[in-house]
Amino acid sequence: MATGVDQAVGMGLVLFSLSLFSYYSVWVIVLPFMDSDHILHKYFLPREYSVILPGIAAVVLLLLIGTFTAAVVWMNHKPKKAD
Amino acid sequence: MTKLMQWLFGAALLGTLWALVSFDLLDWKLPRAYREVAWPMPLYLLVSFGCFSLAAVGYRVATFNDCEAAAKELQEQIREAKEDLRRRGLKM
Repeated sequence: MATGVDQAVGMGLVLFSLSLFSYYSVWVIVLPFMDSDHILHKYFLPREYSVILPGIAAVVLLLLIGTFTAAVVWMNHKPKKAD
Repeated sequence: MTKLMQWLFGAALLGTLWALVSFDLLDWKLPRAYREVAWPMPLYLLVSFGCFSLAAVGYRVATFNDCEAAAKELQEQIREAKEDLRRRGLKM
């Protein structure tokens, strides 16, 4: 078995993704079948956000990847010498 | 039929089914709850897949056995590679 920090980080990732999956599943699949005065609705944002928030996360992720790629390419760009 | 064509065909089929249910193109007049569940389905599947990938990575990180000798050897090789690349001019 891996030790110490590895186990903590790994299990943390598993728990985080499990909770994210459960919350998102309830948000998308369970809530539409609940009456609008059910108490469960109190714990969830309006449904539009269930589409907007992952969209923003995807854009941020792509921005980070693009910025990293651009930075590395830019730092290694050698202008051609004129002969 | 190539694999690509098979995948595209399957994706087109599922996409059509999703559009039919979400936007009520054939006027089936499904209950509102079903339409509300169907509409974010593509995004939901993407998020689920992302969560699954994250969980798989996390689980493997937690259960991978430590290999002291291999770890040292890998660190050494990383150091050598960085040195070599730096000599050839790559800046990180």
